[in-house]
Amino acid sequence: MTTPPSPNRGAQGGVTPGHYYGHGLPYLSIDRYPGKIIALEGTDGVGRSTQIRLLREWLEVQGYGVVETGWTRSPLMQPTIELAKSSNTLNKLTFVLLYACDFADRLEKEIIPALKAGFIVLADRYIYTAIARAGVRGVDSQWIRQLYGFAIAPHLVFYLKIDADALARRVLETAGMEYWESGMDMKSGDDIYESFRAYQRSLLKEYAAMADEFGFRVLEGKKSVNSIQEELRRQVGEFLDGSGSPKVLGAEAGS
Amino acid sequence: MFVTEWNSSALVKAATKAGKKKNALTPMTFSLLHATDFADRLLYKIIPPLKAGMIVLADRYAYTAFARDVARGVDREWVRDLYGFAVQPNLSVYFRVPIDVSLDRLLARRVKLKFYEAGMDMGWSSNPTESFRLFQSKVLEEYDSLVGEFGLTVIDASASITEQQRLFRKMVSEKLERPAS
Repeated sequence: MTTPPSPNRGAQGGVTPGHYYGHGLPYLSIDRYPGKIIALEGTDGVGRSTQIRLLREWLEVQGYGVVETGWTRSPLMQPTIELAKSSNTLNKLTFVLLYACDFADRLEKEIIPALKAGFIVLADRYIYTAIARAGVRGVDSQWIRQLYGFAIAPHLVFYLKIDADALARRVLETAGMEYWESGMDMKSGDDIYESFRAYQRSLLKEYAAMADEFGFRVLEGKKSVNSIQEELRRQVGEFLDGSGSPKVLGAEAGS
Repeated sequence: MFVTEWNSSALVKAATKAGKKKNALTPMTFSLLHATDFADRLLYKIIPPLKAGMIVLADRYAYTAFARDVARGVDREWVRDLYGFAVQPNLSVYFRVPIDVSLDRLLARRVKLKFYEAGMDMGWSSNPTESFRLFQSKVLEEYDSLVGEFGLTVIDASASITEQQRLFRKMVSEKLERPAS
C-alpha cells in the first residue's frame, strides 16, 4: 500500500474542510460551494440523534437551511444492507464496501447538492464510524482511509465520548442490546453483555485514535442532554458567525 | 475447476438491479457496488477453490473495473487501491476487439444496447449506438494501458472462435505445465 494521497492538506496538516480527503470524485468539482458539513460522531446509544434534532431546530430558528443525512439511509443501499445484516452473509470486506456505497450514494445525491445550495448538512455519523468498525474487524487501516478518499472533510466534527460501562447501562435502559452493535458477528462468545462491552471498548479505542487525525471536537457524552446541546450550539454558533454562511432569505429579520 | 462470473453475487444483486432499473447509479456507486460483488465472490467463491487446489476461471476480473470505472471518471489510482484485496491471477487474458466488431456482435444478438453498457449514464449522446461507441472507446483505451501495467496477455478477438480457442488453450496449458512462470 502507498501513502494516501493528500492534495488538499490545510495549514494544520489536516484536509481543508469542504474539500475531498483524497482523490475525491474527479467528475464532480465541489470548489467554493457555500454549504457546510457538521458531523456528529459517537457510538450507538450515546445520544447523537437527540442532539442532532435539537441542533437542527435551533439552526432553523436562526434562519439556516438544514439538511440531515444519516448512516445507511440511502434509498439505494438500505434494503440490501438490512437484508445482508438479517441473513448474516456479510464478511468484513463486504460489510465495509456496502457502507461505503451507501455513503457515496448519499454524498452525491444529498450532501453535495445541499452544499451547493448553501445548506448546513447535519450528518448523524460520518465516515469515522465506518473506519472504527472496520478497524475493530481487522481491515487494513490505510486501505479504508484510501477507500474514503472520495469523502468531503466536514467543517466541524463533534465526537460524543462515553465509556463502555455507562454506555451499556444506557443502551439497556432504552432499546436493548442488538446483534451487530454488540459485535456478535465477531464470534467472541454467546454472552451478549460481555460481547457488547468488549466490542464497544474496542470501538471507543478506534474513535479515540482518530480524534487527532481528523480534528474531532470531543464532548462528554455522560453530561445531560441540555448541557451537551448548549456546548454544541456555542461552538457551532461561533463557527457559523465567522464563516459567512448564507441564511435562508427573510428568515433573519423574523427570528 | 470452478467458474465465476462478474456481477453474480446474490448479496448485491438486489441493489445493482434496483439501481440499474432506475438508472440511479453514479460512477462511484456503480464502482463500489461492483467491488462489493467482487469481494463477496472472492471470499466465498474464489479463495476456497484456490485453497482446494482447483483452477478458477474468472469471466472478467478486477481489470474490468479498472477500465470501466475510469472511463466513467472515477480516479485511476483510487480504483486500483480499492481492489487491493484481490488475488493476483496466475494468467490474465484480454480478448481485444475493435469497437465496430463488438457493436456488430452485440446488435446481432439483441435489439437494444443496455443503458450502462452503452454508457448512457454519462449523458454524452442520447443515441445509444453513438453513446456506446464513445463510452466503449474510452473503455478500450483503458484496457490498452492495462496490458502493460498488469501484464495481460492479448488475444485478437476478431479472429475466428476456433483460432482464438486454439491460442487460448495453448496459453493455458503452458501455464499449467510451468505454473511458476
